[in-house]
Amino acid sequence: MWLFLGKRLFAIVPILLGLSILVFAMMALIPGDPATAILGSYATPENVARLNEQLGLDRPLPQQYLIWAGNLLQGDLGRSYALNRPVAHEVFERFGATLILAGSALLLCAFFGLLAGVVAAVRQFRWTDRIVTLVVLVGISTPSFWLGLLMIMLFAVHLQWLPASGMYAAYGGGDLPDLLRHLAMPAVTLAVVATGVIARLTRTAMLEVLRQDYIRTARAKGVPERRVIYRHAFKAALVTVIPVLGIQAGFVIGGAVYIETVFQWPGIGRMLVNAISTRDLLLVQGGVLVVAVSYVLFNLAADILQALLDPRLR
Amino acid sequence: MDAVSTPTVRPKPGGRSGLRLLVRNRLAAFGLVLLAVLLLVALLTPLLPLPDPDATAPADRLLPPGTPGHWLGTDHLGRDLLSRLLWGSRVSIAVGVSATLVAAFFGSLIGLVAGYAGGRVDNLLMRSIDLVMAFPYILLALTIVAVLGPGLLNALYAIAVVNIPFFARNIRGVTLGLARREFVAAARLSGARPATLLFGEILPSVWPTIVVTMSTTLGWMILETAGLSFLGLGAQPPQADLGSMLGEGRKLLFTAPHVSIIPGVMIFLLVISVNLLGDGVRDYLDPRLKAGALTAPVAATAVQRDRPADRADGSEGPDPLLSVAGLQTEFHQGDRIHRAVGGVDLVLHPGERLGLVGESGSGKSVTALSLLRLVPTPPGIIVGGEIRFAGRDTLGLSARELRQLRGGRVSYIFQDPLSTLHPLFPVGDQLVEALHTHQDLSSGKARQRAVELLEKVQIPGAQQRMRAYPHELSGGMRQRVCIAMALANRPDLVVADEPTTALDVTVQAQILELLRSLAAEQNSAVLFITHDFGVVSELCDRVAVMYAGRIVEQGPTEEVLSAPAHPYTAKLIECVPVLGESDRKVEAIPGLPPAVDELPAGCHFADRCPFAEDQCRRGELALENIGRDRAARCRKPLWSEA
Amino acid sequence: MLQPLPPAMGRLATALGLALVFLMVPPTPSEARTPPNVLVVAQIAEPKSLDPQTVTAVNDFRILMNLYDGLVRYRPGSLEVEPALAESWEISDDGTEYTFHLREGITFHDGTPFDADAVVFTFDRMLDEEHPYHDTGPFPLSFFFGSVVNVEALDPNTVRFTLAEPYAPFLSNLAYPTGLIVSPAAVREHGKEFGRNPSGTGAFQFGEWRANERVVVERNPDYWEGAPPLEAVVFRPITDANTRVAEMLSGGIDLMVEVPPDALGRFSGSPDYSVHEQVGPHVWFLILNMKEGPTSDQRVRQAINYAIDKQALVENVLQGTAEVAAGPVAPAFSWAYNEDLEPYPYDPELARDLIKEAGYEGASLTFYVTEGGSGMLDPIAMGTAIQADLEAVGLEVEIETYEWNTFLGKVNPGLEGKADMAEMAWMTNDPDTLPFLTLRTGAFPAEGGFNSGYYSNPEVDRLLEQARRSTDRDERARLYYEMQEIVHEDAPWAFVANWKQNAVTSERVEGFGLEPSFFLLLDDVAKP
Repeated sequence: MWLFLGKRLFAIVPILLGLSILVFAMMALIPGDPATAILGSYATPENVARLNEQLGLDRPLPQQYLIWAGNLLQGDLGRSYALNRPVAHEVFERFGATLILAGSALLLCAFFGLLAGVVAAVRQFRWTDRIVTLVVLVGISTPSFWLGLLMIMLFAVHLQWLPASGMYAAYGGGDLPDLLRHLAMPAVTLAVVATGVIARLTRTAMLEVLRQDYIRTARAKGVPERRVIYRHAFKAALVTVIPVLGIQAGFVIGGAVYIETVFQWPGIGRMLVNAISTRDLLLVQGGVLVVAVSYVLFNLAADILQALLDPRLR
Repeated sequence: MDAVSTPTVRPKPGGRSGLRLLVRNRLAAFGLVLLAVLLLVALLTPLLPLPDPDATAPADRLLPPGTPGHWLGTDHLGRDLLSRLLWGSRVSIAVGVSATLVAAFFGSLIGLVAGYAGGRVDNLLMRSIDLVMAFPYILLALTIVAVLGPGLLNALYAIAVVNIPFFARNIRGVTLGLARREFVAAARLSGARPATLLFGEILPSVWPTIVVTMSTTLGWMILETAGLSFLGLGAQPPQADLGSMLGEGRKLLFTAPHVSIIPGVMIFLLVISVNLLGDGVRDYLDPRLKAGALTAPVAATAVQRDRPADRADGSEGPDPLLSVAGLQTEFHQGDRIHRAVGGVDLVLHPGERLGLVGESGSGKSVTALSLLRLVPTPPGIIVGGEIRFAGRDTLGLSARELRQLRGGRVSYIFQDPLSTLHPLFPVGDQLVEALHTHQDLSSGKARQRAVELLEKVQIPGAQQRMRAYPHELSGGMRQRVCIAMALANRPDLVVADEPTTALDVTVQAQILELLRSLAAEQNSAVLFITHDFGVVSELCDRVAVMYAGRIVEQGPTEEVLSAPAHPYTAKLIECVPVLGESDRKVEAIPGLPPAVDELPAGCHFADRCPFAEDQCRRGELALENIGRDRAARCRKPLWSEA
Repeated sequence: MLQPLPPAMGRLATALGLALVFLMVPPTPSEARTPPNVLVVAQIAEPKSLDPQTVTAVNDFRILMNLYDGLVRYRPGSLEVEPALAESWEISDDGTEYTFHLREGITFHDGTPFDADAVVFTFDRMLDEEHPYHDTGPFPLSFFFGSVVNVEALDPNTVRFTLAEPYAPFLSNLAYPTGLIVSPAAVREHGKEFGRNPSGTGAFQFGEWRANERVVVERNPDYWEGAPPLEAVVFRPITDANTRVAEMLSGGIDLMVEVPPDALGRFSGSPDYSVHEQVGPHVWFLILNMKEGPTSDQRVRQAINYAIDKQALVENVLQGTAEVAAGPVAPAFSWAYNEDLEPYPYDPELARDLIKEAGYEGASLTFYVTEGGSGMLDPIAMGTAIQADLEAVGLEVEIETYEWNTFLGKVNPGLEGKADMAEMAWMTNDPDTLPFLTLRTGAFPAEGGFNSGYYSNPEVDRLLEQARRSTDRDERARLYYEMQEIVHEDAPWAFVANWKQNAVTSERVEGFGLEPSFFLLLDDVAKP
């Protein structure tokens, strides 16, 4: 187990190395530069050159990369050009906000997706199944950003039940209920698609499992049906669903960009979009690395969870 | 709602699986029709009398839907929304489809090569794919668009690149499986070039997976295109695509909601139609789904008896433990009805051991499973007959009563202990569960009892083995666990469905002996299902031979073995290899059993019977007494008392 | 057979459901509304820094102007300077020495006194590369004071600036945020982090900055002009205009700027909101490539000016949030604006004739459009409408859209070989800035300027150079009048619109008004 963990964690290193080089190369390919972005209308070639020199951007790209990598090894992610603050501060603050959003969305989609999938499978071909199947299809067919807009229109503007945007109240606030009220709409919106994916997958997995001989064995033992479904069948279905949950976690974090934009959630997705548009290389670099590491860790967590559930994988 | 016997949705003639296909197809057909309409409209758009989608008329801006001349109103530049919607749909569909094709092409290529080549190439390719997947996908798209510049074509590339990993991973998985298969190995040995092999041999088998992946990705692709355009990275003005319409309309959400709601609804309709159709395509192309196999059996077999069977009340002697009369079990798959069990009568007395013998497909296992309604529904339905256990009709029991019987007074041992034990629970837990279900024990007591049971079935180190998972035990050990589980609650009847078939010959004998002695010790009756007369002779007091869903001969084991009455029985006995007589000719029975959904009239065995005459192929044959305690379903029995 | 949910799952579902219902229960009105005496302002983006010398965006200026003061400032409602931290000043006759007499008894928020040394520190930090705190930069707008060669404290309350050459916009630049005075003690204490721990002399002092959530500034009770009525101001970054509107409608904010034109209708009719408008020093125009292609012909350039229905643009696309522009100087610079200049009328017939005459009928033009950017209004819709207008007079226009920074990266180096037209907009603080940076021969991209369309007229060059050196405003005005007439006729740009800046406040906000400078001044605003 430890060996397995160590191996998996070690396997991240080349991925991160590749990613960081990829990011450097891509940012170099994008027209425009941070100095132009900072100077805006005042970006005369002369001003740009002077600012580039001050920012250390006049050095050749490989050298910039090596400097960055060297600093990284000392735990320094550099300083954002556009925000004028350490990348690490910005990235981790933003990532925290995204984790809260994506985490709640994941909880929601795991809970409702699994529940819907199980219910649909158990009541296959009945109205419940059909309704669940249809609702799930509606979920995965709706553009999430559009859904977010409609929700704001309904719950924030018309009914004035929930705040339209942000993470905390503008003044005061900052406690858990305040956070939850701000979280409700974006988390639900973000969860909708993933719920659909998980529900469909769970349904298929459950149908697959329920045909297995060991389910027949459980029934032949006289085990109550509820226990057959939620203990025997569900556990086995989870084994197939969990890796997908891991991948969905990556998607939810990546896909939060739209939702963060619509609901003005101070998350890392929106930060990265801004950072790309302001050519804030080090910020992009730091953000992408953190997101990539979290993606890998989520998948690793899914694998570990799977191995815990299924002794054959240990 | 616990009346298992009256499910809320009664299968109509045509059966559950027919219903299933209907529902599926109805949704898929709806998707197909919707998509066809949308595609048709999109195709015909240039021919329709629509205003120029790009013609601005600032004075007519934001007209509401229903305005004459502008059915869906106008946008912020006074452009006709209906026209933009239709032209925009064309663009969105085209981009979605092209992106899917591009992603499918490159993804499949990578998957094929990686899966086929294996080794270092595979490793390198898949690591690259990991790299792409670890990069947040929207950012990848954003960066690609930032590098290449905005525009539909670039958005298309971006979306395609982002989706390549899905194809690559799926296709690689399938290819990997195929590349190790015999036909590929054979072709490889015969010196075929890798390219020929890859595209000639492997691609055709991978094709369905590609199509299924495409059908499930297309909707997603259309959404993603819309998303990029929504962020302003897709279509360039004045060109309309659904996403950019939504993005532009978003600014007007509070003043003119229709400008964003209309394209939103269109995207939704488009994507849901694609997804519905995609599900249909998947169902059609996936071999497992096509067979209607992906259905979850409910807790108890559905019972649809038109009438309870005539009770054979004339039975003399003590009340039998089990009596089966006229049992009919059918499988309804689509329009086809398989009559797996076509009227079986059986009687089993307490402590008696009955062997139920027949070839595979003869209906013996279905008969056994029907006893406690363990035949999977769908597709199985018990359509007639009566099963009495200790005087009660099991087909009329409530779910609760049935559960009490299952594993309590009647227990089962199945064929393959690897698949019948739950792979994710330690065997001890499974054993304890069997005890807990029927006995009110403290958990310490139950564990202790479980260890005793394991010891009883001669598992060494029972205490440690409690924590073992099924895959950590040998086949024989696993079957011992199953036997322990079956005997845990001192059942009156043990139904053993080919319990030794999956085991080594030497282990077989041990298991049989164990089963025999333990059943005898507890005075449990045994219904032993097998295809092997050799096994029957060692274990059973009486034997019943099944053929094509019916009992064709019954009698005491010794008598039937020495003097079979039915030609089929005779043939089966000839098939048994005898130890030490390896040169004896083991004669297979020529021909195949008839398909149970198109049984011939008269004797079902007639076509394979060396003695068959014309009279054998006419009328209904009854199981007739041919002597004391012996019966056969034959016009010309080989043995008869008379 | 119906399977009831297992009890655990059922309970969890119920709990979750209840939680959702609880979340959706309408809060008490006091929660939904912002608290009294606290003004919540929707910003269009997260501020970059609160160090006035390091920032360039109007968005940051809106906060800074309330935290700091400069030596001078714009008189309310105008772009003319008046005393602020400096009570008075003298200009030497040759226009190269400015001596300021400072107001006494003022302290920074951190308690240290404001004096001549603080002024010297502020400018040396930015301009002197040898200054120990120069590394707290970069200071991108330091070229505003590029002509300053020396700043010295004559006594604790007198400062003298020495310029290399006469530079007319100097005072106006001092009123700009780049000239705001910072506390030397705070810079020494916080170094590079000064931008997150600002200290000035303004009406409000820094409270807290929660990244991407809010910047809070609190009443400065010792403000030299008297403490402001508001207890605190909260600046919330809401980058999405639509979400700002939603927040305004749902009562989450009290004041929003840069209201999308179409949303104005929602507010203007309602007694719950007040809409504010103010024309600012802003010009929205199309750069025309004079080096090559159809637009190198004056007739085509004039035709483009005639062909664009500017009235329809400002009335319909921009919903009256702008006025039709006549030339390169914004009317907000009232003393420099030539009132005699009439905008090109909308005359598609004439435009078609001119194009035919020039022989460019059916010519195809590449048009750079941006998705959005500082002062760009609604660039895509405007670009699309302009495209349609030009098609109507026989020019094929191909739009290429770029995200703002890419757009700048493409336009600023010059349009040669790439495009025929590009959208552009400028907001400036002095009539000199825009023409000096964009219409001179010496401002060609190769020379370090923004003349991306390569307009070159020696007469214009001469007029601009002269106006910049003159310290006499009437003379400057005369020179600018002349320059505007020439440029109007040469038509190096298509002059399109001057933006009327707008803002919406809730009915509880009192005493608010927009400034032509685009700054947001809140020291007289109240919200009981």
